[in-house]
Amino acid sequence: MSEFFDRSEFVQYFRDETDDLLQSIDADLLRLEHFVDTGAIDAELVNSLFRALHTVKGSAGMLEFTAVQQVAHKLENVFDLLRKDRMPLTEQCVNLLFEGRDVLTALVRAAVDGGEEPGGVEEYVERLDAFAGVYDSTAQAIEGPRSESDEEETLAPVDEEEVSAFEAEVARMLAEAQAQRREREAEAAAPVDADAAQAAVDAVFSNGSPAAAQPAPAPAAPAKAAVPETKRAVAAKNQTIRVDIDRLDLLLNLVGELVINRTRISDIATTLSRELGSNGRASDDLSALAKDLAESSALLARTTNEIQESIMKVRMVPIGQVFDRFPRMVRDLAKARGKEIRLEIAGADTDLDKTIVDEVGEPLMHLVRNCVDHGIEPPDVREARGKPRHGTIELNAYHEGNQVIIEISDDGGGIDVARVREKAIRIGAITEADRLTDREIVELIFTPGFSTADQITDVSGRGVGMDVVKKNILRLKGVFDVDSVPGEGTRFTMKLPLTLAIIQALLVRVAQELYSIPLDAVIESQRIDASEVRTVHGGEVITLRGQVVPLVRVGEFFRLGAPRDPDKVMIVIVGLQGRQVGLVVDSFQGEQEIVIKPLSDVIGRIAGISGATILGNGSISLIIDVHSLVAAAHGSGKVTRAEFSGV
Amino acid sequence: MSDTVQVVSFKLGSEEYGVDIAQVQEINRMVAVTHVPRAPQFMEGVINLRGQLIPIIDLRTRFGMPRAEHTKNTRIVVTEIGTKRVGMVVDSVSEVLRLPVDHIEPAPEMITGVDTEYIRGVGKIEDRLIILLDLAKIISGAEKRELESAGADAAAVA
Repeated sequence: MSEFFDRSEFVQYFRDETDDLLQSIDADLLRLEHFVDTGAIDAELVNSLFRALHTVKGSAGMLEFTAVQQVAHKLENVFDLLRKDRMPLTEQCVNLLFEGRDVLTALVRAAVDGGEEPGGVEEYVERLDAFAGVYDSTAQAIEGPRSESDEEETLAPVDEEEVSAFEAEVARMLAEAQAQRREREAEAAAPVDADAAQAAVDAVFSNGSPAAAQPAPAPAAPAKAAVPETKRAVAAKNQTIRVDIDRLDLLLNLVGELVINRTRISDIATTLSRELGSNGRASDDLSALAKDLAESSALLARTTNEIQESIMKVRMVPIGQVFDRFPRMVRDLAKARGKEIRLEIAGADTDLDKTIVDEVGEPLMHLVRNCVDHGIEPPDVREARGKPRHGTIELNAYHEGNQVIIEISDDGGGIDVARVREKAIRIGAITEADRLTDREIVELIFTPGFSTADQITDVSGRGVGMDVVKKNILRLKGVFDVDSVPGEGTRFTMKLPLTLAIIQALLVRVAQELYSIPLDAVIESQRIDASEVRTVHGGEVITLRGQVVPLVRVGEFFRLGAPRDPDKVMIVIVGLQGRQVGLVVDSFQGEQEIVIKPLSDVIGRIAGISGATILGNGSISLIIDVHSLVAAAHGSGKVTRAEFSGV
Repeated sequence: MSDTVQVVSFKLGSEEYGVDIAQVQEINRMVAVTHVPRAPQFMEGVINLRGQLIPIIDLRTRFGMPRAEHTKNTRIVVTEIGTKRVGMVVDSVSEVLRLPVDHIEPAPEMITGVDTEYIRGVGKIEDRLIILLDLAKIISGAEKRELESAGADAAAVA
């Protein structure tokens, strides 16, 4: 068999397919849980779980992932008992199934990545066997011993039935993989009139006989019409394809090149027209050609922009990919903490850039855990406070202008200002004498090492949470806020850019080099008199509407050796989290949309630089990292040193 | 005949160096290099190579030789080491050579101007000596040095 399939391709396919299945198993189990001890059961739900596990088992068997195959088989067996009504759906049963799903996930990961098999699998299988065995044997006692082939299925993979099922599985995966490939090739090779072909196919199937088909409207139609129904179903299912994100990035790079060359062509067209116009001896033909060139280059410009936008759109994925894992997590955590919690999700179909979706998962998880652990009170406490026993956590995402807003809120006890203050004093973040508003005190939860949990739990409360969350969101160029009303609940709000790759930037010149400053950090730009610059404690500052704003001379920070202008100072005021800094530059060069590219890791991290971009004329502009410049101006000596050494 | 290796040879000052041709992606004329502030000294900057940002190392500075004015012979040798692409500024590129493996000797103990850690060996062709470079070492060494120079920065600030 090995000669007819490329194993690595199948392992990849297996991983993608199984990931989806495990995700759906999780969601289905959560729904199944509602039927516990009701005596009723949604047969379709159990069937869908059974089928999902059957597919996992089959694919795993094909790739000889025997551990995965074995566990999937045992779980499948439980669902078989459930759907045949031989086993009641109890809480213990659901818990075992949830656990089984996790064991399966770990096994799949180990199998695909070639890692070590996770511990505890055997112990779990024993428990599952012990649990299911009772019902299994009852069933056997009633119906007599199971047939030979049933036994064989568990023990010996050489059974003929198993082999044929196995071959069917191979055929199915091959067909799907090939259908995908064919579709890609078909799309690339021949644009078929899909409507016409579909009409022909419909005609064939509604008449039940290919002979009754109407004369083909398109040459490709007869071939299409001959496709058996199974393949047609596969084609319909594969309306989406999986694409490696690296390939998209490559495409984006290539488009970047295209944009640069397009700019060059339009420059040439302009120069040509001007030259022809000025020497006045150009023939009509030549002038017409120059005009054509100008028109074509304009058209090219439009198309390139559209391609660029389309690729950016392809990179957008729904935030639901991240939200999906929370129902299960909240369920498990709530159980562990003895709380009753309902999770409500809205806006799961809100799209944002793949990179951001990947990065935002971890912070969101921290926040949801935080709501479960610190937010929602235990049922008895809630009841005493006149609230429903079950708490509610809401996850909500929506677009607002050029941003995506994600809110996580709970109807718990809110942040206890007095306790936060007390704790902050204890860890030395503030002193007894500090007079802070409630809002400022709430903000203290972002202090590194801060946690008000009375005891350390495995959920949260290790004091590594909120400051890391905030840092990660800032890194994504997002904004993070917390709102809390004592007794009513807490709401965390993050505002994230739709995409990280393209931003608006203010271009400035510093010592002959062009630098880009992300516009979202820019408050204003000003030209002021050199005499307005004062020094405080050796550092330069200006007073802006009554506020003292420290200055950073970009040329000196970057050691570009540029002389200072004795008369005037060009300042870009940037702000982050309410802290402002004036960046001194040589001149302003206007705003532009830029595509961010990382600096090579051969160069390493450079303090004050977050990346680079290629401008329309092909030259490079480095992007100023406002964070580190603001930190350098405001931070203590210690922070500044850390920033400087780039660690 | 024994096996041969193909190397791209280039000059720095009066010395001749060689790198494995498999690691050379292309050779370009000198173009405008965008300076990257606060980068290590031998890091000349970055260039735009058809939409890709490529870091440029000044090999003379890397090897502790005095910098030289760029001439019409100055070239950027774009190399690919693993997944990293790096351009190296050299005085001039000579040719592609076939070196019999048995004409390559291990690096001598002392070679003026160049640390021996990134020398794979010395190839002899007629009366020429070609110093064969281990590019991965040049880059990893570069990273190490960068950290050191950053450390020096920190000390200066403190």
